[in-house]
Amino acid sequence: MTGSGFGTLSSVKLLTAAALIAISSGAVVGLSVGYVVHYSAPSTRTFYLFDGTLPFSERTFYNIPHDTFVPDTITVDKGDHVIIHYINIEDVSESHTFTMDMPYKFDATVYGNATQQGVVATYPNVGNIVLSQGQNATITFTANWAGTFRYYCVIHQPTMTGYLVVIG
Amino acid sequence: MEALNDLKLLRWSAVALLLVTGMIDLFYGNSFAGFYENLWYVMGGIYIFAALVIASNIEPHFSQLTVFAYALFLWSVWATVALETGTGLDVVAYADKAVEAVLAVNMLLLFRSSRTSVIR
Repeated sequence: MTGSGFGTLSSVKLLTAAALIAISSGAVVGLSVGYVVHYSAPSTRTFYLFDGTLPFSERTFYNIPHDTFVPDTITVDKGDHVIIHYINIEDVSESHTFTMDMPYKFDATVYGNATQQGVVATYPNVGNIVLSQGQNATITFTANWAGTFRYYCVIHQPTMTGYLVVIG
Repeated sequence: MEALNDLKLLRWSAVALLLVTGMIDLFYGNSFAGFYENLWYVMGGIYIFAALVIASNIEPHFSQLTVFAYALFLWSVWATVALETGTGLDVVAYADKAVEAVLAVNMLLLFRSSRTSVIR
């Protein structure tokens, strides 16, 4: 090292040179990555989710439920903060759950009616909630894992199933 | 004697900081990174490898200067990417970069102390 001049330079000069090279090359790499990747920063995405009905009577069609989720696909980017307003719009007394595949869990506030007045219950970090007719829930979570994950009603399987698509 | 103790303290605190930063990087890659998670694993792996090198005191002047430059390089990359894209602006990244900044100062002091002790 001494022969190459490393040992003869003062510590201050060596540290200054190393710092300048490191910071400037880091800035070049960082700017290049930012330019090439065009990555959009995580944002808050809001969705409205309802229960829907397929056009048949579940009593006459092999006992398959006719309930569905509308929409049945929610697509977000990894890291996004997701807010889902889930409303049970049944015209009869029928409950639905909102259940998510692991590893996803969510915070939920359940309201007594669609105007979001009268909090019925709050659920921190759960994987499943139940909504009675007319109730609605505000569901929030951060899309930390990329992939495709089900959200579904455990009462009305297999038709009442949707997919959370997280693009990583 | 006191200088040697200071040197030891700086070296082992650098090892601790390198291990902490490495572990945070691995954790970040696993749980938080919005894209290019594998890069975080590589960065964390290099930090843990550097901790072993600094602990073993192999080519101390070269390795200390290299780790100092590496910490500043990653800090600079993070800052420019964050400014340009808005990514990596979360609590874990802030903690990681705070430890990295302390590590850079630690390596600077260690490098200066170890060179001074050799000159003496």
